[in-house]
Amino acid sequence: MNPKTFDVIVSGVGGQGVILATEILGDAALKEGLDVIISEIHGMAHRGGSVVSHVRIGSDRYSPTITEGSADAILGLEPIETLRVLKFANQDTRIIMTSKPIVPVTVSTGAYKYPALKKVVEQCKIFTEHVTVLDAFKIAEEAGSSKTVNIVMLGALAATSLLPVKEESLIQTIKGHIPEKFAKENLNAFDAGKKAFASK
Amino acid sequence: MTKGLIALRDPRVLLLDKPGDKHLLLGNEAIARGAVEAGVHVFTMYPGTPASEIGDALAQIADDAGMYVEFSTNEKVGLEVAAGASLAGARTLTAMKMVGLNVASDTLVTLAYAGVKGGFVIVSADDPDCFSSQNEQDNRYYALLANIPCLEPSNPQEARDMLLSAFDISEKLELPVMIRMVTRVSHTRGIVTFGPIEKRRIGSFVRDPEHFVMVPVNARRRHVALLEKMSLASKVVEQSPYNRISGRGTLGLITSGVSYNYCLEALRLIGITAQILKVGTINPLPTGLISKFLQNVHEAIVVEELEPYLEVQVKAIAQGLAKDVKVLGKLGGFFPRHGEFSPGIVAVGLSRIVGKAPALNYEMTVRKVTQADKVTPPRPPMLCPGCPHIASFHVIKVATGGKAVVATDIGCYALGYQPPLSVGDVMISMGASAGMAAGLSKVTTDPVVGVVGDSTFFHASLPGLVNAAYNNHRFVYVVLDNLTTAMTGHQPHPGTGITATGKVSKRIMIEDLAKACGIDYVRVVDPFRFESAVSTMKEAIRQNGPAVVVFRRPCVEIELHKGTAIQQSVHASI
Repeated sequence: MNPKTFDVIVSGVGGQGVILATEILGDAALKEGLDVIISEIHGMAHRGGSVVSHVRIGSDRYSPTITEGSADAILGLEPIETLRVLKFANQDTRIIMTSKPIVPVTVSTGAYKYPALKKVVEQCKIFTEHVTVLDAFKIAEEAGSSKTVNIVMLGALAATSLLPVKEESLIQTIKGHIPEKFAKENLNAFDAGKKAFASK
Repeated sequence: MTKGLIALRDPRVLLLDKPGDKHLLLGNEAIARGAVEAGVHVFTMYPGTPASEIGDALAQIADDAGMYVEFSTNEKVGLEVAAGASLAGARTLTAMKMVGLNVASDTLVTLAYAGVKGGFVIVSADDPDCFSSQNEQDNRYYALLANIPCLEPSNPQEARDMLLSAFDISEKLELPVMIRMVTRVSHTRGIVTFGPIEKRRIGSFVRDPEHFVMVPVNARRRHVALLEKMSLASKVVEQSPYNRISGRGTLGLITSGVSYNYCLEALRLIGITAQILKVGTINPLPTGLISKFLQNVHEAIVVEELEPYLEVQVKAIAQGLAKDVKVLGKLGGFFPRHGEFSPGIVAVGLSRIVGKAPALNYEMTVRKVTQADKVTPPRPPMLCPGCPHIASFHVIKVATGGKAVVATDIGCYALGYQPPLSVGDVMISMGASAGMAAGLSKVTTDPVVGVVGDSTFFHASLPGLVNAAYNNHRFVYVVLDNLTTAMTGHQPHPGTGITATGKVSKRIMIEDLAKACGIDYVRVVDPFRFESAVSTMKEAIRQNGPAVVVFRRPCVEIELHKGTAIQQSVHASI
């Protein structure tokens, strides 16, 4: 793989900070002089719906969305939201996903069943062997705030060595994007995510 | 180059007078930056996804930029305010989502006859795939219908560039110019290189009634003038840098906007080369350039989302050529006419034509995904926990015994149609609830309820309400007043008494307006006072004519906007 190109999908639920995570990633890449395109879907995100962002780094990237079956990585901030973006995976895709479900209304009303984590991982493995499950909520909580799941996941992605963006740029961008009073817990979360991935 | 960058989310970035600076901007923010650079004097919009961030950004920097920014009551009014300022000699911009142009179209079509003075640009943001819209109409046809120039950017950088060019074209031809965006350009973040900020030039209004008063005698002449201007535009677009040919080979692709990006990646996936004509001026089309392009290829494939807008026109151009060139596209069934494209969808369509498979097992991926889909429960957007609309819907259900036929409207509360609330039987367009409820009440024997949000009430329901009073239609019109335009990102509206730029202004009370529309039974309730709300609702249903019940309680998310002018105003008003 050309080390200077990278396609990642970040998926989750409205309110989890999917868009903030992708903005940090994109701005860090821009800081390093890389070309970057991000595609976000706004609008329904506030209402607890699914949120998917595409981040594309590299000078030969044109489409705002990643080609089906071509993502280098998928960051799933929620198990079934990871399933929803599997069409972007291939056998080499690195999937990092959180283990804690955010139950949708269709499950709480009894219309649908939430799949067991084992089943979710099984489905991911039909596409790729490279699946890492992290208890990102717990990791985030221990780092200072359960609201930093998105940053824990960014830390995990940084630990894969797939990303053509330096860790230092990510850290600087986090500092630039997040209000000072929350900076510490977010930097802790980033570090904890990195360590959690490395220990897997 | 990006040292000392102000945080990305700070809209003041858009004010930096640093030509050559590069920033990662949303397509909508690139439009806002373009407006700053172009020296726009007046900006108007009614918020609507995927266009809203243009107004959100400009409202926040308006005072620093010295720009007048307003959220207008609807898109037609917004277009008129901007057009009026343009006739007085200022550069003006109005933005809206695609369905907003339906509302504004009455003025637009005739404004094209009258023409403009200061550059006037209309941004229409289309939403292929209905991400947050009630339809996926293709607004390129509005440019054709109104006979005005239209440019279509493929990424945020082009959005900024084309906006600046659109102002020049508008001033040169004295015509409104449209920029057609789509969700994947408006909501794509890309690197945008800043240009210099132009000094604002403002003219003055010069009386010219023969040009601007569209009584028939003038309109006839101005139609001819419009045709002459557009014939000049046809010549101008032949030289436009936005229409370019790249690549090589005997296969030709003709495309525009976001689809251009998909073409580049699809060709790479299939491993073939082609000449690509990227059309940036989608009205008028560069017919000379297209003819020349067709002469140089064996076969031309038109790649465009939604309607076969280019395809039909390219086919007409091909008909006039001496050489026989096949023009293929969605009319031949190679590409879908609905939804948005992706590199995969374009690759599959192209590969069917050229007979070579892409390096991507699209069908296999789709098959594997179908399996995953089976175990994935849907996650529809929902009303937030604590949302006052939930209580209001419960009141409506209890008061009508669940029997009401409900004409609902555009906003968060449209989500109330879903179980278990199940309040909402019809929803079509902004403000349609009043007229639809009236019609339903003429036939059904069940109680009829219309449901409309506060911002939507001001936007387009007033004529329907006057009609209900005048023709004595028997239904209850429920106005869900959460004191904000929640769905599109909490913009203020006339019922908040706060302007786009956060200034305290005249507050228009919904109940006063309802009375002024001729409704005799008007009540205001708090949806959280359940019993009294139910008994008021029951009384309203018993009325022999139209009744209005305002359910007033601020959106739960307003609490997240602590300390802002809106929150303070809302709290002062309860």
